[in-house]
Amino acid sequence: MEVLANLSISWLDPWLMFLTAAGTLAGIYVGAIPGLSVTMATSILISFTFKWQVNEALALIAGVFIGGVYGGARTAILLNIPGAPSAIATAFDGYPLAQRGEAGEAIGLTTVMSVFGGFVGILALALFAPVISSFAIQFNSRDYLLLGLIGILLVGSLSGESFAKGAFAGALGVLIGMVGLDPMTAEGRFTYGSITLMGGIPYIAAMIGFFGVAEALVQMHNLDLPTIKQKIDRIIPRLADVKRYFRLAMRASGIGTIIGALPGTGGDIAALLAYDDAKRMTRNPEVPFGEGAKEGLVAPEAANNAAVGGAFIPMLTLGIPGDAVTAVIIGALFIHGLKPGPMMLIETPHLFWFTVGNLLLANIFLLIFGLTGIRLFTKIIECPKAILIPLIIVLSAVGTYAIQNNPSHVYWMLGFGVFGYFLKTYGFQVGPIILGVILGPMMDSNYRRAMIGARGDVGTFLWDFVSHPISLVLSVAFLLMLLSQTPLWPPLMARLRRAGN
Amino acid sequence: MNGAAKDCGLRPGEMVFSIALIVFSVTAFWQSYAISGLRGLSEPGVFPMLASATMLLSSLVIMRDLTSKQRSSQEGQSSFLRDIVPFRLLVVVGFILVYVVAMPLIGFVFSSAAFLFASFWLLWQKGPLMSAVLTAGSLAVVYLVFRKVFQVVLPGGSLIQGII
Repeated sequence: MEVLANLSISWLDPWLMFLTAAGTLAGIYVGAIPGLSVTMATSILISFTFKWQVNEALALIAGVFIGGVYGGARTAILLNIPGAPSAIATAFDGYPLAQRGEAGEAIGLTTVMSVFGGFVGILALALFAPVISSFAIQFNSRDYLLLGLIGILLVGSLSGESFAKGAFAGALGVLIGMVGLDPMTAEGRFTYGSITLMGGIPYIAAMIGFFGVAEALVQMHNLDLPTIKQKIDRIIPRLADVKRYFRLAMRASGIGTIIGALPGTGGDIAALLAYDDAKRMTRNPEVPFGEGAKEGLVAPEAANNAAVGGAFIPMLTLGIPGDAVTAVIIGALFIHGLKPGPMMLIETPHLFWFTVGNLLLANIFLLIFGLTGIRLFTKIIECPKAILIPLIIVLSAVGTYAIQNNPSHVYWMLGFGVFGYFLKTYGFQVGPIILGVILGPMMDSNYRRAMIGARGDVGTFLWDFVSHPISLVLSVAFLLMLLSQTPLWPPLMARLRRAGN
Repeated sequence: MNGAAKDCGLRPGEMVFSIALIVFSVTAFWQSYAISGLRGLSEPGVFPMLASATMLLSSLVIMRDLTSKQRSSQEGQSSFLRDIVPFRLLVVVGFILVYVVAMPLIGFVFSSAAFLFASFWLLWQKGPLMSAVLTAGSLAVVYLVFRKVFQVVLPGGSLIQGII
């Protein structure tokens, strides 16, 4: 009964309902504009929520996340430009469908399947998070250290141009997270006697700088690209289509939830894997994949929205962000005084169930907004970048200032923005930096607790990683992931395959 | 996401950037060592040392990759100023710098108005009148949404306190 009461808070409060709706709508539109990623939308929008009540902030955040992941699909279909990385696979068949004059129907089908995938992901969150949370209580300091390392490693390796660049970005983030007074000894790290630096570098300023300003500067290169226009007709999908692709959507949602739940992997990888799976599983598609197969639209869209619910599982139960967006959200939760992790479900279960209820509500708003206003939407995405870029800068500056009314945070934001521009230009991903900033202090304190537990003896410290079952499993996973990024991996796999034959 | 990053051989300025990263990593490692030296393995400087060592190692790998890329690269047409930091970008970064410095002095409304007007005029190229109209409209929306609806405290401006 208590669960139901917490689940329905935002359903019964008109203001919370409005904020969820506003967040979803903003997420759809910002996520849809190429260059304006859902991470950028989340980091800018949530910076305005720090002085709000926790429930209000969570309502807006849930909406932005759900809307943003979906929003990328629209431009993928209409312009062949994925609005977000999670919509890359959607463009493969979505754009050919639009070229055949079926853009409206493709968007309609995408919306319904995204909502379906979203519900599957949220159901998994509601069912499995309490189980994982009770299991995670047994996790030790070294297990959290390993989880943090796995998180950074996966994001760094899966999304970048090279593993070295991902590793550099992740380590840089960890270093940024170290600035300030050490929480265990109160010793200054990189503070140089500055009182401002003793409080650490505000990570929201880093997030807005790397995702807002840097992205806006990168988009300066695309100012003169012409806009593409598409004809929109039927939007509501055919019931026969929904029925026909139900099983495929179910399967893709399962893939999406699992991938989303893994630390470091998000909607983009979930969508690509689901697309690949659909391609292999569909024997005789009506239209070949890559030429407008509806299966190629259903699978990635169901998967990337299912990954949202999945991504909340490690975030709320272990305190480990699933991807860059959840890293931003976790930062916001810390600022609101919440401590995502196994104790969250024990100490503040109402917030967990409130979040689940909120995600459900945001998903319903997604269905409403997804099937309406598409003609207006096509006008908005035609908005020139010359207008969008200055507006993003203003919002970024206001958002950074709003955190603590401190002008020095805005200077940090600009510094990170310019540095982020060069990193992006030279093929570095900035996602691992944010993960490093968030996970760095957590990994540092857990490393030192584990080392103190081993009485400073390296042998005992290392032995602990293999002598405890959970640590052993995580250590093996970490080493395999590390090995898979080295040049040794391809010949090793080839040898294993030969041995198997 | 990564609009400007294209896999087209060595990008202009990439080598200098990677050298800067190595220098930065070495400095970071030295500064990390300065925190607590090698007093013990659970000291506050250990993790920063591990992070900066990772940065140094990966920046050296990046440099090695670039060196081999440089040998095989046929690109010689691109230029740092034209492709990486074109004039328009430099001017906009200058506008942002002036904007963030001016914001605490003259307040959000005036600094944003000046920044938006200058940026729209430069980037949109529809003339001063259209830029002014767009500035007024977009600033009104931003102000109403964030100040009135979201109740965000916007910088008032120390130089114009009491005037508005």
